[in-house]
Amino acid sequence: MERRTFLRQLLLYSLGLSLSAPRFGVAATGAETTGAAELSLVSGADYSAVVRRALQLLGGMERFVRPGASVVVKPNIAWDRTPEYGATTHPLVVKTLVELALQAGAGEVRIFDHTCNEKRRCYVNSGIADIVGAMAERRVKLDYIDSRKFVEVKITGGRSLDSWEIYRDALTADCYINVPVAKHHGLSGLTLGLKNVMGVVGGNRGRLHHGLAQKLADLATVVRPTLTVIDATRLLLRNGPQGGRLEDVRQVDTVIASADPVAADAVATTLFGLEPERIETTVAAFQMGLGQMDPSRIHISEQRL
Amino acid sequence: MRPGDPAAQKPLYRRLRLVRMASQLGFLLLFLFLFVNTDYSGSDTIQYAVNLLFRIDPLLAITAMLAVRAVIALMLPALLLVGLSLLLGRFFCGWVCPLGSLVDGVQPAMKQGRRRQTTLFPQLAATLLIFVLVSALLGLPLAGYVDPFSILVRGLAQAVYPASHNLAESFFTMTYLHAPAWVNQITEPVYGFLKETVLPFERKYFSLSLLSLAILAAVFLAEAVQRRFFCRNICPLGALLGWFARLGPTGLRGGDDDCGACRLCSRICRMGAIDERRRIDPQRCSLCIDCLVRCPRQVISFRSFLPGSRGVGVSLSRRRLVGTIALGCVIPPILGVRRLTAAPNPLLIRPPGALTEAEFLQRCVRCAECIQVCIGNGLQPVLLEAGIEGIFSPHLVARTGYCEFNCTLCGQICPTGAIKELTRAEKHRTKIGNAWFDKDRCLPYAKGIPCIVCEEHCPTPDKAIKFRTVVMVDDLTGQQQEIRRPFIVDELCIGCGICETKCPLPGRAAVFVTSDGEMRNPDNLLPEKGETDQWGY
Repeated sequence: MERRTFLRQLLLYSLGLSLSAPRFGVAATGAETTGAAELSLVSGADYSAVVRRALQLLGGMERFVRPGASVVVKPNIAWDRTPEYGATTHPLVVKTLVELALQAGAGEVRIFDHTCNEKRRCYVNSGIADIVGAMAERRVKLDYIDSRKFVEVKITGGRSLDSWEIYRDALTADCYINVPVAKHHGLSGLTLGLKNVMGVVGGNRGRLHHGLAQKLADLATVVRPTLTVIDATRLLLRNGPQGGRLEDVRQVDTVIASADPVAADAVATTLFGLEPERIETTVAAFQMGLGQMDPSRIHISEQRL
Repeated sequence: MRPGDPAAQKPLYRRLRLVRMASQLGFLLLFLFLFVNTDYSGSDTIQYAVNLLFRIDPLLAITAMLAVRAVIALMLPALLLVGLSLLLGRFFCGWVCPLGSLVDGVQPAMKQGRRRQTTLFPQLAATLLIFVLVSALLGLPLAGYVDPFSILVRGLAQAVYPASHNLAESFFTMTYLHAPAWVNQITEPVYGFLKETVLPFERKYFSLSLLSLAILAAVFLAEAVQRRFFCRNICPLGALLGWFARLGPTGLRGGDDDCGACRLCSRICRMGAIDERRRIDPQRCSLCIDCLVRCPRQVISFRSFLPGSRGVGVSLSRRRLVGTIALGCVIPPILGVRRLTAAPNPLLIRPPGALTEAEFLQRCVRCAECIQVCIGNGLQPVLLEAGIEGIFSPHLVARTGYCEFNCTLCGQICPTGAIKELTRAEKHRTKIGNAWFDKDRCLPYAKGIPCIVCEEHCPTPDKAIKFRTVVMVDDLTGQQQEIRRPFIVDELCIGCGICETKCPLPGRAAVFVTSDGEMRNPDNLLPEKGETDQWGY
């Protein structure tokens, strides 16, 4: 082949390839009638036992993780803070969930977060890197966000967003376990499960903050956790979402678990002494039929160990 | 050793040359290892002496110490190289220097025939050295611009290394998105391995990357003119080591009149150290052993000299020496009368722990280590913000990157102490600048759109960005809206710039940092709350 021909063909092929970049479609769930929600709320000093009991009360991890399933555990480790500051999900909570998923037969468990501070510092100082390292389990992977894996997703049911870049692994996992930490936030009031979606989206995340509540609800139509486990072992009451002062932290040793993301957020809000209606995101998601926030229709199994 | 016995000496010299090559390779690999590890490693402290090269460099040590007129303990390891050079000559250039090894490495790519044998500018390196020393004595340190390690690390750190990431990322993104699965089964583990080992952790962006690259590339391209062009004609570190070599007791004895017309040694010498009469200049000889191996008569050998007995050697003419010293004396006073001296550029935000500006510039050797290690990609090389003599020194450009709150790497890595090493607690209290809102752009002010991204990212435990809630009334509709408007608490803001980096506006940020209020400069203090009356608020 002549050099000229070769170059021309090369150009044409690369053009063709770049035009055929994949677009991701996710079956969006529109407004559906929301039934009653099951939720467990367990307190105790032994976080491992607390998480195990919370899952047990929901019927066990086996309800959510099928043998061989690919599982994502998505903590909030966006900030370069150590666990005692309550700005990041407690590593013991994450560790226990990973262990439960493995016991249920998970084929692989991936852990990641799209951090705000430097990735490596966040993973190390949140304590997550340590617990994953100590597990030394081939099936468990702590991933740094790989920019190639953000895919443009159409949000067909969105009221404020048409589409956004979402992390592929969060969409394709058989079981997506959302593990936020409950804390104060300057704009949304609190950041809980629905706000934790920030860690699996790309693009200019700052722009999501204009009309945040509806945009989070829109994103919740496509990023749908199989299970939400809210780490309320520590509540960051002020100067969130980053914190950094122990006097802003109240230790309540509580974990909330539910398959219903809206119910989980609604109940977690009450731990701060606030009405669930105060959090616009919860309301927006409820109005889109993404979950239950009516206390009379949330069945809470509460235990103190 | 007995000259004139080819059979006995040649194998020994060959072996010695192999050892020299192994030494070059070994030190080059060591340098690259340290270079790649100039990064956060999962621990708050740097694990290796990654700045080693800059701390054994006597040129940088002498100029920095002359400029600040004090002994800089961090740079005392340079004495080791001084001692070894006194003893062994300019072995460093031939056996250790990573830049020298790299230019030796490109030899096969060069056309050998056309190049000149005699050193093109035999006095330039020594002239530069004297100029650099004199201006350092007068407080203007220029060594970093001609020092081989500074040139090498700047070019690698700000251009070659980040470009390698860019290239790898583009390639593996292409395979990831478009190649069939079986290709990815090969390429993805390769990419993972490269990321784990040699590639930079993240893509970084640098000002002056082209300039840094051009300077480094020029060193390599000059090889087309003659071998070791930079080392022979420009390198003031080499010239300095040459001075020590001349004082020392060892060196090579060259050929003699019995050699007849043979000048092979002079022709093959990469340093141009052997003249027409086959005398070997210890000031230039890098002990590469080539001539020992190649000499047909095997008359070249090691010998010792009485100190001070050296006859050969190029020295500057008196006129040139005086002229150089005069030039070195004239420039610093002129720089002192620029407007910049009276009113420093407010965008010149130095790293946390940086000394006062004058002392900082005197110590900074432009090695780019701090810029390379900055995990927030906040530090950038300065172009003219600090004056012409400040080029390549570091400053924070917060729109592209910020100073990570808990990170203290730049102070740990600075080989000269231009940036003090701070504890984490000290770093948290070190104000390097102050943030300001551009209220014509900031959404809550300008558009009535709620936005708190800067406040959310503000890292101080008691946030330096706080809100005032105001009620806005639309004159047309009479509609009222409550909006929270952010403002800066100067006493809490440390100038890290994360607000500016993360501001979601496109283009210019609505919140930006300047050097106002930086602790290292008392002239830059901001009014404190208690002083408001005095300031007439």
